Amino acid sequence: MNAILRVAAATLLLHITPVVVLIKRPAAVQALLPGANAYFQRDLHLSDRDAHRLHEVVDWSPENDVLTFYLGRSGNADVGTLEFVRVDTPHGPLEVAVGFTPAGAIRDVLVTKATVEMKPWVQDAESAGLLRSYAGLQPAQAPAGAAAVTGKTGSLAVYVAGEVDKGVQRALTAYSLFYRPSATRS
Amino acid sequence: MLFDLRHAIPQVKWLITCLLATFGLAYLFGSLMVALYAGFTPARVAATYAGPAMTMPMPPETTVTVQHPMQMEDFAQPEVHAVDTDLLIQDTHVHVPMYGLFAAALSLIVLGLPLSRGAGIGLVTLLFAAPWLDFAGMWLTKFASPHFAVVTLAGGYAMGIGYLVVSVLAVHRMWFSRSGGTP
Repeated sequence: MNAILRVAAATLLLHITPVVVLIKRPAAVQALLPGANAYFQRDLHLSDRDAHRLHEVVDWSPENDVLTFYLGRSGNADVGTLEFVRVDTPHGPLEVAVGFTPAGAIRDVLVTKATVEMKPWVQDAESAGLLRSYAGLQPAQAPAGAAAVTGKTGSLAVYVAGEVDKGVQRALTAYSLFYRPSATRS
Repeated sequence: MLFDLRHAIPQVKWLITCLLATFGLAYLFGSLMVALYAGFTPARVAATYAGPAMTMPMPPETTVTVQHPMQMEDFAQPEVHAVDTDLLIQDTHVHVPMYGLFAAALSLIVLGLPLSRGAGIGLVTLLFAAPWLDFAGMWLTKFASPHFAVVTLAGGYAMGIGYLVVSVLAVHRMWFSRSGGTP
């Protein structure tokens, strides 16, 4: 009986709550590609070799080995690039939107989706300055959002900041390895 | 019969009634969640678990780039809630034990119902088969064919039917049986 109760308690603790949208995609696009009036979706169907390379660096593979970048332009001017990256955590998935300037630095980061359980942790981490820690980050640098909010907020917010760091790192790595400003258009 | 719910003491009858009501609430919101994230049609379930049709059936020799223009309205299109393999592993890991406990609790209630051996075994099988079908359908939809979405739907409906049958029979046996009451 004791074992059954333990299994029930563990199952309840691990039960994943539903995903909620924190920021809708159009709002995220407007925030991360400001001033853009033309948008493009660029899908990179990774070869086995490139998919393996990405996995080796960040221990992650995009769904179906397809990396998607969204590009914004204003007239002929490049406004920047945006990636949506999902991070699977033991508490369910998070989605992080990472915007890049044309020079390749991070313009801004938004957490666009979280589970009901993680939403308050995300909000606490953001209140403690999590997202500000990513602005200006270059592809060669490592995100340190969890370190930036440690001591300023609770342990669960620091935990979720670490998960956001993973998403930002994936976006940075994918961008630095595979994004080319002048890829062929179809 | 191992025991008879009709002769159970009122505290046990009340416990079972509260348990069934709680399960009912959980199933109600479970079905609302399914409606929000996966839907009740084979096409929507297939889209959730099978994912978008692959434009490239095999990984290319070299990385291939495809680009097309978008409108802002395209970003506002409702997203299909896609469950990829990693998430399905996680979902299976956390849901199956809980469904097993639900089926076990309902099966214990079945043991207190005046059913024939065949009907009892059938009902217990239904209770456990429902989550098996539910998750087998998800995995088959992902890796075999989107047509297996109907298996997941069958599992979901079996779960609801099993709960309803047990609840109706148990409540009737405990509270509305003519010779009911404490022994």
